Amino acid sequence: MDKTILIVEDQDDLRLLVRLSLKSLGRVVLASSAAQGLAMVRAEKPDLVTLDVWLGKGDSGLDVCRAIKSDPETQHVKVLLLSACGQQSDVEAGMAAGADHYIVKPFSPQSLGEAAAALLAA
Amino acid sequence: MLATPLPTEEAHRLQVLLDLNILDTAPEDRFDRITRMAARLFGVPVALVSLIDADRQWFKSRVGVPFSETERASSFCTHTILQDGVMVVEDATCDDRFASSPYVTEAGARFYAGYPLAAPDGSRIGTVCILDRNPRTLDDEGRALLRDLAGMVAGEIAAGELRRAHARRSENDAWLYGLLEHIPDGVLMLDRAGNVICGNPAAEHMFGSDTGGLAGRMACSLLGDDAAMLLDPEHSADAPPQEGGGLRLDGSTFPIEVKVAPMCLVGQQRYAVIVRDVTRQHEQAQRSRATEERRRKHFTTATHELRTPMASILGFSELLLKRDFDAATNRELLDIIHRQAARLVDLINQMLDLARIEAGGTEGLHIATVDVADLVDQTLTGLNGLGQNHRIRTEIEDGLPAIAADAAKMQQALTNIVSNAIKYSSEGSQIDISTAALRRNAKLMVAIRVADRGIGMTPEQQARIFDAFYRAGDAQNVQGSGLGMTIFKEIIELHGGHADIESRPGAGTAVTVWLPAAPDHG
Repeated sequence: MDKTILIVEDQDDLRLLVRLSLKSLGRVVLASSAAQGLAMVRAEKPDLVTLDVWLGKGDSGLDVCRAIKSDPETQHVKVLLLSACGQQSDVEAGMAAGADHYIVKPFSPQSLGEAAAALLAA
Repeated sequence: MLATPLPTEEAHRLQVLLDLNILDTAPEDRFDRITRMAARLFGVPVALVSLIDADRQWFKSRVGVPFSETERASSFCTHTILQDGVMVVEDATCDDRFASSPYVTEAGARFYAGYPLAAPDGSRIGTVCILDRNPRTLDDEGRALLRDLAGMVAGEIAAGELRRAHARRSENDAWLYGLLEHIPDGVLMLDRAGNVICGNPAAEHMFGSDTGGLAGRMACSLLGDDAAMLLDPEHSADAPPQEGGGLRLDGSTFPIEVKVAPMCLVGQQRYAVIVRDVTRQHEQAQRSRATEERRRKHFTTATHELRTPMASILGFSELLLKRDFDAATNRELLDIIHRQAARLVDLINQMLDLARIEAGGTEGLHIATVDVADLVDQTLTGLNGLGQNHRIRTEIEDGLPAIAADAAKMQQALTNIVSNAIKYSSEGSQIDISTAALRRNAKLMVAIRVADRGIGMTPEQQARIFDAFYRAGDAQNVQGSGLGMTIFKEIIELHGGHADIESRPGAGTAVTVWLPAAPDHG
């Protein structure tokens, strides 16, 4: 069965980049804000969510991640955080929010694809 | 004539005499009283208090002698100080030591009796003596009387020395008291149980007390419970100061630094406590921490802002290198890379600009008299076609004072607000640039107002407009680094000016810059 991947990213260019990087792995759906992302997690029941940490307007991908992981309906969904914040403390905060993987921007599309494939296979 | 015989330890004796500061001083009744009494009691014409200096005898008090000093050599007294006890010369004409002395041959002295005068340390500094023109004897009672008179003179000398020492002591006390009175640090003296015995004015002021109002209070009621730890007789005065919280009498608190030195005063265990109000140092540290925190946050944001375009450039170029896309997609991805690279360059330039302006401060400004109409013209020309589809109307007041400004930086500041007005309003809409002059706090200020009819801002957005990298609303499609208004504010403030913002969502934004007029217009 085809896997579903949800990309939550507020920047148009980066949303496109992530889509192109992951489209070979399954069905890709897109969201550009925290609220839209969370609604789509519930509606689409994706297998994997790639989540930008800084979603603009003060919204945090970490909050979205915690919401996904604390809801029994969605906690099985794999979350891959994508962030321009690459310090050890940022990564730790991401993992503490329940993320399954953390990738720092800028990233290689191939590495992102491999990480996503590994999460989908797990 | 025989050479003057010298006592042993003559040098020490002379030093003691000198230190008494009595030689060549004015006559004093306390000594004259004694010589008068001696002359009367013994029935002699001459009675002296004679002090033996290096080469003279000087009379601190004299009866029957018209001069205040004579040569030491050949004097009777120089012999008296060689011995303990009274020296009596019954008839000088029959004494080899004095027969040829001018005292005898010229002044006619025949009888001499003297008793050595002892300084407080025992040194024989002179004599009390009596002389007569007739030979005579001195019985034991007379000798005892002379000894007692010498003792009285010695007592007067010792008393004078004590008074001087006391005066010196009082002077020292006055200095110490003055020091304690005026040093800005609080000083408290505590008893062994930790009760305040006294405090200096700085301590009283620090704790909000009246003069003397600290006495009797427990140290811990002023210095906090930690103070008890310091009250240990073994506590080293060299230990670093302890930080704590001071408690004023009105209950308010303030940060203090405390040093304690145990001491023993008249056999009693005491503590000297030095209290320093470190409020200012704390505020300074807090400001430094806040600045550091702002810097850290700015750095994090800057890093984030730089990584975002880098992610597009690196990511899309990798895709183009590794995959085959159709020509249209190829073109689209290259376009993104180019756009994001341009954005990256813009960001870096603006960040460097901001850093330069911040680092340069007012010294980095080249202030000159700048005509506002010229400034606005140059700003609009410098937009390079940006805003060509807007209706930009300028209205410069006649006779508007010139401003004192760095023309290039001021143009940069104006460019930032004019380009924001253009970017956040729709094509074809009107932008008004107007001016005014107004005296504020006795200073002539020139206002330049840029008003658009664009999307406007909410109060929340307005509050953050000067934050670095902040971009109002869904600004993704609006070009810019998010540093324009930060740079704008920095430049305006360096010029001693400020900016007012009026904005309403949907109605537009007006930014008014207030700048000091050039001095000849002030």
